[in-house]
Amino acid sequence: MLRIEGLSAGYSAKPVLNGVSINVDAGQFVAIVGPNGAGKTTLFKTISGILRPSGGGIFFNGVDLLAVPPAQRAHLGIAHVPEGRQVFPSLTVMENLEMGAMTESGRRDWAANIERIFAWLPVLAERRSQFAGTLSGGQQQMLAIGRGLASSPKLLMLDEPSMGLAPSTADFVFERLIEIRRQSGLTMLLVEQRVAEALESADHGYVLEAGRVVLEGNNETLRADDRVRKAYLGM
Amino acid sequence: MEGFLQALAAGLLIGAVYGLMCVGLGLIFGVMRVINFAHGDFMMLGMYVAFYLFTAAGVQAVFGNAVGPFIAILLAGPVLALFGYVVHLTLISHVSGTRTASLEGEGHYAQLILTLGIALILQNGGLIIFGSVLASIRTPLSSSAWELGPVFDMSIFINKARGIDAVVSLLIMTLLSLLITRSRIGKSLRAAADNPTAATYMGIDVDRAHRTAFALGSGITAIAGGLLATNYPFHPFVGLEYVIVMYAGVVLGGMGSIIGAFWGGMTIGLVQQMSTLILPTQLQNAAIFVVFLLIIFFRPQGFFGRMVERT
Repeated sequence: MLRIEGLSAGYSAKPVLNGVSINVDAGQFVAIVGPNGAGKTTLFKTISGILRPSGGGIFFNGVDLLAVPPAQRAHLGIAHVPEGRQVFPSLTVMENLEMGAMTESGRRDWAANIERIFAWLPVLAERRSQFAGTLSGGQQQMLAIGRGLASSPKLLMLDEPSMGLAPSTADFVFERLIEIRRQSGLTMLLVEQRVAEALESADHGYVLEAGRVVLEGNNETLRADDRVRKAYLGM
Repeated sequence: MEGFLQALAAGLLIGAVYGLMCVGLGLIFGVMRVINFAHGDFMMLGMYVAFYLFTAAGVQAVFGNAVGPFIAILLAGPVLALFGYVVHLTLISHVSGTRTASLEGEGHYAQLILTLGIALILQNGGLIIFGSVLASIRTPLSSSAWELGPVFDMSIFINKARGIDAVVSLLIMTLLSLLITRSRIGKSLRAAADNPTAATYMGIDVDRAHRTAFALGSGITAIAGGLLATNYPFHPFVGLEYVIVMYAGVVLGGMGSIIGAFWGGMTIGLVQQMSTLILPTQLQNAAIFVVFLLIIFFRPQGFFGRMVERT
């Protein structure tokens, strides 16, 4: 579904990604793990078009994404739940969800989507007319996820959904994601620093370090790998 | 007492039009974070467009002297909206929006120079094309009044043209706030203002949202200018007189708040008219800025400004 080939990108003089290749098949849950500054967020920004890559290619269902303007990529079925949540603070919870549903498919499935989102993330239903800026971090994260789901995406990209949350809240967000994934079978691409949790639930994983993929494999392979165990799992 | 009420009424009427004028600028600033120094000159253009539509384009002949000016003024709105659309497309978009999002200062320096340059061109171009003779949109309503009262032996006189100006302003303001709060376009404008990057992730074309805001803001201020022109004569440099009032209004209301800009403009209208009770008219504008400083001193974020960092 998503095929990234030899992608290089960065900010003016500072290259961040160096020939990264990643593949996400339909229905898969793929996790990208790695330390701070490995280029995980840069990778997502490049997929969404906020950054232009200096080399390589990105293909989504056979479409060359680099030829698609950034704002059009959401309409192809890519939902990006950004790092740090980035909800619209002066819009209400409901309006934030409506913004998620700007795509054609999101508008078409609005009623069904909103029902599912409220069932998965009931706190959003309770707070529907509250301004998003007044929500707690965990609630904002759930809103960001709900907003992503409201577009009826083919691919849901999640950038560090646990960032800045209390451990128990982060656990809860993770648990909700797994439940959403179990019920919907949605293709997901997750970037995470909580390596153990991310690898546990993903079908396939990539380890990104200093802008390169240093390791990839299915979740058993990765969790059995010595380097991963030592560096990330603390074993 | 009668003088006080009369000044209050005058302040409310002019304040409604100032409010509308400020909303045009506030919309552009709120959505785009671009400081448009040429906005006063856009308003000047709106005044001349309304003037020529009325006198030369047949609006006077069809609708007469009473209704005609207001038809011409309302028509000037879409004309200036189109003008704003083109100016954004050809000039402003090169120094704002997603193009400059990653630059230091988000392109504010280039915006400053560009909008000041546009202002100069419009002012001097206006001088060449329209001449330096004062123009005004005359209607017999400008020199007649409704009498309210007498109640307790007091009556207040409402200038008919100014009364209609205020009503038109409030109507447009109501329509605009419905558009901003209820419609899909309005919500996407607010989303683009809140967080342009996240708006792009939602599939909102941020540059197009900016263009819409710029066109809307230009059109709205043009209408406000036309309304002012029913009572105040104007010339190609009139924008300079109003652009400062516009900025004061937007800052008072709270940078970024569109509804706040209206109340900021209203406050300025009230202060300007009420100050005539105790100060000579030459000091009207000084009074505005004394009050402006006082309010900013106690409430630096303005009436409706939020003390939060933009994400």
